[in-house]
Amino acid sequence: MSAPALMTSLALAYAGMLGLCLGMDRHWKQLGSARLSPRWQRLCRPLGALLLVLAGYAASFVWPGGMALVAWFGLISLAGLALLLLLPYAPRLVLGLPLAGGLLAGLFALF
Amino acid sequence: MKAIHSRWPVIVRVLAAILGGYAFTYATTATLARLLPFARYDAAAVATLLSFVVYLVFVLWAFSARTLGQVLAGVALSVPLAAIAFWPQLLGGMR
Amino acid sequence: MERQRSLTQSMSWLHTWAGLLLGWALFAIFLTGTLAVFDKEIDWWMQPELSDRGLGQAQAAEVAQRWLEREKPQASGWNIGLPTERAPQLSVSSGEQRRGERTQLDPATGEALPVRETVGGNFFFHFHYTLHLPRMIGIWVVGFAAMAMLVAIISGVIIHKKIFKDFFTFRPAKGQRSWLDGHNASAVLLLPFHLMITYSGLAIFSAIYMPAAVDALYDGDRQAMFRESRPGAEQAQQAGGGARRAGAEQGQPRGRGEGARPQAPAAELLPLAGFIERGEAHYGEGMVAGLSVSNPGRADARVTVRPLLGSRIELTKGEGMVFDGVSGRLLDAPEPSRPSLLTQRVIAGLHFAQFGGYPMRWLYFLCGLVSCVMIASGLVLYTVKKRRQVKADSSEGRAFLRLVESLNVAAVAGLSLACAALLWGNRLLPAELAGREFWELRLFFGVWLLSLAHARLRAPLQAWREQLFVAAALGVALPLLDLLLAPGAADRARLGLDVTALLLGATLAWVAWQLPRIATSRARRTPAVQIAGAER
Repeated sequence: MSAPALMTSLALAYAGMLGLCLGMDRHWKQLGSARLSPRWQRLCRPLGALLLVLAGYAASFVWPGGMALVAWFGLISLAGLALLLLLPYAPRLVLGLPLAGGLLAGLFALF
Repeated sequence: MKAIHSRWPVIVRVLAAILGGYAFTYATTATLARLLPFARYDAAAVATLLSFVVYLVFVLWAFSARTLGQVLAGVALSVPLAAIAFWPQLLGGMR
Repeated sequence: MERQRSLTQSMSWLHTWAGLLLGWALFAIFLTGTLAVFDKEIDWWMQPELSDRGLGQAQAAEVAQRWLEREKPQASGWNIGLPTERAPQLSVSSGEQRRGERTQLDPATGEALPVRETVGGNFFFHFHYTLHLPRMIGIWVVGFAAMAMLVAIISGVIIHKKIFKDFFTFRPAKGQRSWLDGHNASAVLLLPFHLMITYSGLAIFSAIYMPAAVDALYDGDRQAMFRESRPGAEQAQQAGGGARRAGAEQGQPRGRGEGARPQAPAAELLPLAGFIERGEAHYGEGMVAGLSVSNPGRADARVTVRPLLGSRIELTKGEGMVFDGVSGRLLDAPEPSRPSLLTQRVIAGLHFAQFGGYPMRWLYFLCGLVSCVMIASGLVLYTVKKRRQVKADSSEGRAFLRLVESLNVAAVAGLSLACAALLWGNRLLPAELAGREFWELRLFFGVWLLSLAHARLRAPLQAWREQLFVAAALGVALPLLDLLLAPGAADRARLGLDVTALLLGATLAWVAWQLPRIATSRARRTPAVQIAGAER
C-alpha cells in the first residue's frame, strides 16, 4: 500500500520546510539553537531543499508522475503551514515532529 | 480619505479597468487566435486559455498607470486589435 | 488629475477593494467548493436509507436492466449509476440524463428503495459555481469573483514586502499583527494552490467568459469548434449512424426534434453486464461509473459506458465508449486528446480533483480550507485596520464599517452555520415530507438570512462569537445526531463525515474562544510594534 510512502513524503516535506525555516536567522535563534555553531545553520537551507526533493520522490510512490507533482505542492504547503502553527503554539514539538513522523512511517511500513 | 475629494477619476478608472479591460482582452484574444501559427482549433484554445492573463495584467496596469489618459488609450487599443482579428468578417460585411 | 501614487499604494488599494467587495462571494465559493470535494460522500450521508451491499457491478447492471425493462420499457433512454468506491449505491433514471429523476434500487430484491429527497452534496457543487443564482448569471458572477481573486492574489504578492523573510512568521494574540501574519502566511504558503484553483476555475468556463477566439475563427459557432476538437469522431459518427447521440457528450443538446423521426423496429437489448467488462478492458478494472442506453429495446439501441473520473488528471467528463446495443459492436471509443485539448482538460481536471484517490481528495479539502481561512482573515483584517482609524472618520465611514462587519459575520460564520444547519435539517426533517429538498433549501437560506439579521443587531464581537459557537455546536454534535436518528446507517463514509464535522466544529469553537483575546490585545499594541520593529 501507499500509506507508508505517503507518511514518508509528508514527514520529509515537513523536515524540508523545517530546514528552510532553520536557515533563517530569526527562527534559528527562536528555536534555541544558539548553542550550535552558525556553520550548522548554513547547512540547513540546502539540506531542507534536498529533503523537499526527496519528499517529491516519495510522493511518486503514491501517485504517478503528474499527480505526484500536484500532491507535492500540496504536501509541502500544508507541512509548512503545520510548522507555522507549531512555532508559536508548541515550539517544543517543532523539532520532535519529524522524528515522530519518520518513526510512524517506519511503523506503517512494517505492519 | 483622499478619494472623497475626487471620486470621478476613481470611478472612471475602475470602469476602464473592468469593462475597458474586458474589451481589450476580447480584442487581444481574438487577435492572438488569428495570428498564432497553429491549426485553427489549437490557436483558439491556446488564445482563450491565455485570455485571463491578458485581463489580469491589464487590470493591474490600469490601476498602476500614472494618468487616466494612458488607461483610456490602452482601452482604445482594442479597436485596431479587433480590426486585425475580425478582418475577414469586416470585409465580408462590406461587400 | 489624480495625484501620483506609488505602485505599492495603487496595488494596495486594488488589493483591499477587490478583496473586500468580492471577498464575501469568494468565501462562499471557496467554502462550498471545499465541501464539494466530498460531494458524493455528503450525498451518501444525506440518504441514510442506502447501504453498501458490496454488490459487483455486473450483478448490479443485471438488476437495473431487469427493473428498467419492467418499469420503463418505452423510455427514450436509460441511465444506470453503478456502485463504485465513492458511491456504492445502484441508481437508475430514464429520459434525459441530466433531468431524469434518479431511483435508488435495492440490489438484493431488485425493487425501488424509498429514500428521502435531499439536495445532497450536489447542492454544494452547484452553489460553488452558480451561487444558486440562475445558471448563466451565477456562472458570470462567480467568474467575476474569480477574476477579482486573481487580481487580489497578484496585487497581494506585489505589496507583500517580505515574502521570504516572513515565510514562517505567525505571532498570535497580537491584534492586527496576528491577522496580517495569518493572512500573509496562509496566502504565501499556499500560493501555488490559490493560483492553480482560481485559474483552473476560470479555464473551465473559458468558452463562456471569453468567446473572442471562437467568434473570430468560428464565427461564434461553438459546436463547430467542438466538432473540430475530435476529428476522428466525424468518421465514427458516419460509421455508427448517429452513435454519438447516445453519449451525454459535454451536455450538448442533441437529438432535438428526434420525436418526429419514426422509431426503429423492436430488437432485444444485449445483457448490459457484458458491456462493463468491455469498458474495463479500456479504462481499467473498477473504472466504470455507469451505463447509458438510448433507444432501449429498438434496433438502433446504443450503449455508452461512462468511465469513472480519476485514472488521470485530464478531465474526461462526458466521455464514453459507445456500443451497438443489439450487436455489441464498438462504434466509438475516446481517442487521446490533441495537445491543446489535453492542456485544457488537464487544467479542468486539476480543478475537479477527481484523480489520485482519497489522499488527494484530503489534500484538496485541507488546501481549500486554508483558502477559506485566507479569505476570511483578509476580510477581518480590513475591519481591524479600519476600526483604529474610524474615530477620525466621517459618520458615513462608520456606517460603512458597520455594514462590512455584519456582512463579514454573515458571510463567514453565517455560511458555516447554514451549511451545518443543512446537514441537521437533513436528519431532522421528516423523511416523507413532500417537496423535502425545497425545505432543506429554505432551511439553509433561512438560517443564512437570520445570521445576517443577527449580525446587524449584535455588536461585531458578540455576533462573531455567538454564530461561531452555534456553528461549532452543530458540528460537534453532528455525530450524536447521526447516531441517534440514523443508527443503522453508520458506516465508514458516514462516520468519516461525522468525525470531520466534529473536528471542524471543535476548531470553530476554539476560534470563537480565542476571539476576545485577539480583539482586546489591541491594548497591548506597543510591545507588538516593538517586536516587529526590532526584527527589521
